[in-house]
Amino acid sequence: MLYVLDLIVFIGIFGILALSLNLEFGFAGLANFGKVAFFLIGAYTYALLSQIGVPFYLCLIAGAMVSAAFGLLISLPALRLRADYLAIAILTFGEILRLIVKSESWIAGGDWGISVSPAIAISGGSHRVDVLVNIGLVYFCLLICFVIAQLLANSPYGRVMRAVREDEMAAEALGKSRARYKAQVLMLGSAMAGIAGGLYAQYLQYVLPGMFMPMVTFTVWIMVLLGGPANNWGAVLGAVLVTLFDRGTNIAKDYLTLPIDPSNLQYILFGALIILVLLYRPQGLLKESPIKTKALESVKRERSVGKGKGS
Amino acid sequence: MAPDPRGHPRAITVGYNLLGIYGASVHLAENMQSRRQFVTGEPLMEEAILRIREVSKHFGGVYAVNGVSLDVKEGGICGLVGPNGSGKSTLFNTILGIHRPDGGNIYFNGNCINCLAPHQIYALGLVNAFQLPRLFYQMSVLDNMLVAARGQQGDKLLNSLFLRRKWQEQEKGLIEEALDILELMELDRWAFSPAGELSGGQRKLLEVARALMAKPTLLLLDEPAAGINPVLGRKMFQKLEDLSRNGTTFFIVEHRLEILFEFASWIYVMDRGKTVVGGEPEDISEEPAFYRAYLGEE
Repeated sequence: MLYVLDLIVFIGIFGILALSLNLEFGFAGLANFGKVAFFLIGAYTYALLSQIGVPFYLCLIAGAMVSAAFGLLISLPALRLRADYLAIAILTFGEILRLIVKSESWIAGGDWGISVSPAIAISGGSHRVDVLVNIGLVYFCLLICFVIAQLLANSPYGRVMRAVREDEMAAEALGKSRARYKAQVLMLGSAMAGIAGGLYAQYLQYVLPGMFMPMVTFTVWIMVLLGGPANNWGAVLGAVLVTLFDRGTNIAKDYLTLPIDPSNLQYILFGALIILVLLYRPQGLLKESPIKTKALESVKRERSVGKGKGS
Repeated sequence: MAPDPRGHPRAITVGYNLLGIYGASVHLAENMQSRRQFVTGEPLMEEAILRIREVSKHFGGVYAVNGVSLDVKEGGICGLVGPNGSGKSTLFNTILGIHRPDGGNIYFNGNCINCLAPHQIYALGLVNAFQLPRLFYQMSVLDNMLVAARGQQGDKLLNSLFLRRKWQEQEKGLIEEALDILELMELDRWAFSPAGELSGGQRKLLEVARALMAKPTLLLLDEPAAGINPVLGRKMFQKLEDLSRNGTTFFIVEHRLEILFEFASWIYVMDRGKTVVGGEPEDISEEPAFYRAYLGEE
């Protein structure tokens, strides 16, 4: 039972990550291969601030803000680099950050990491109560992120994001500053990843560099590709399926609570999964959701009524 | 340091541009300009909405545009013709800020726009339609149109989240406008289909329709009638003529000379990166330089 509850928490945390990557890659076409970097920033910000007694919600917000600031920073090269080079640059950025916190032990204990106090500690509560509290907190955050992503996707802003993804030069020629949109989307996506990082740190009650291997990024990518880019429901669905798959493969071995067990078999299975998805369902399980606004919907309805009369 | 065509060290203009002191840079360039006007010997049109002065653009050693000066009068349709590779599209891209000119100045409504980014030029009301349609192919035809609308409330991050009622209200009007333009281009039946499903000619029409959606002051069209059936092409030009009476100016590159000469009020002829002649269509069609540009030296 505890195992299932634990799984639910992980799905929530990775759901937030998948939503944030979906915003960047699915809608705006930014190949962010450094998702783990912002996850790490959120987690470490939470850990360091909670150690000096800052309340948990402020830690989470601070994690999101620091993460967003780094997102803004990384958007500077993003404007100059082509998508594939950007991917390499951000991937490296994530690794550099991990190596810095690993080797600079004054920051947060280096390789050994530091322990983090849980967000809401109920005195005398059992571990199960703690997990249930965590589920509430994580899913509250997931809901907020989902609503924001959904509102953005179905607004003129979402329309511009997709336009930048399709042809950024044409979008620029139509008066949309791609610099501004890319920076904003990266900031927003990074803020979400930062929140996920904070939740992750406080749930596991410790942070250490080994939790932030590049494989985390790739796991999130598989979620988005499997679920369907540019579809928020798809991102969440992908998070559910991949986390279940991840656990399923782990369960055969033992009951470790680490999300990624660097076992070779799992890597191979993940690789095969990506190949299968890209071969047989390149658009993902769910198709890209069209932009839905009130006005668009009412015009669409009118037209279908008109057509019905005509035929 | 190699001297700038404008006659002052390039470092100064570049430096000013970098600092963002556009005013200073424009002023400096304009001082140089007033001296040069007499050199080109061209009369300055009073009501010109677009003034191009000595603009050059080279790629490596090749001068695609080599010291072009011309004026586009406000209102009406101005044509630009010339053989393939004569620099028409490069000139357009330079005006739009996609290429930065290597020399010379471009004024739109009296403001120097050399140093602006494409989206800033668009915001001033100078819009274009690409020669090869650059649509957002996975988005619906209607969404393609709506991206282009100027002065939207909801395309800003915070507005899209917190001023929902405001942009929803605005969008209603925009959709009506978009459907009207689509109807004109005979595209309204496809309003909700992805732009990628349109045929080649329809894509071209949508590209022009999308530019019209911005309600531009000056619209640059690069071969709008290419690949479109003759009847619809003529209809499109008739509509453009109607619009030009309501204050939109058109600057059009077109190889379908019979249509262009019928509707344009002024024609420039370009050859090998230079404007060789400009005048009213009747005069141009009798101009030997025009035939030389197309047929080569006899």
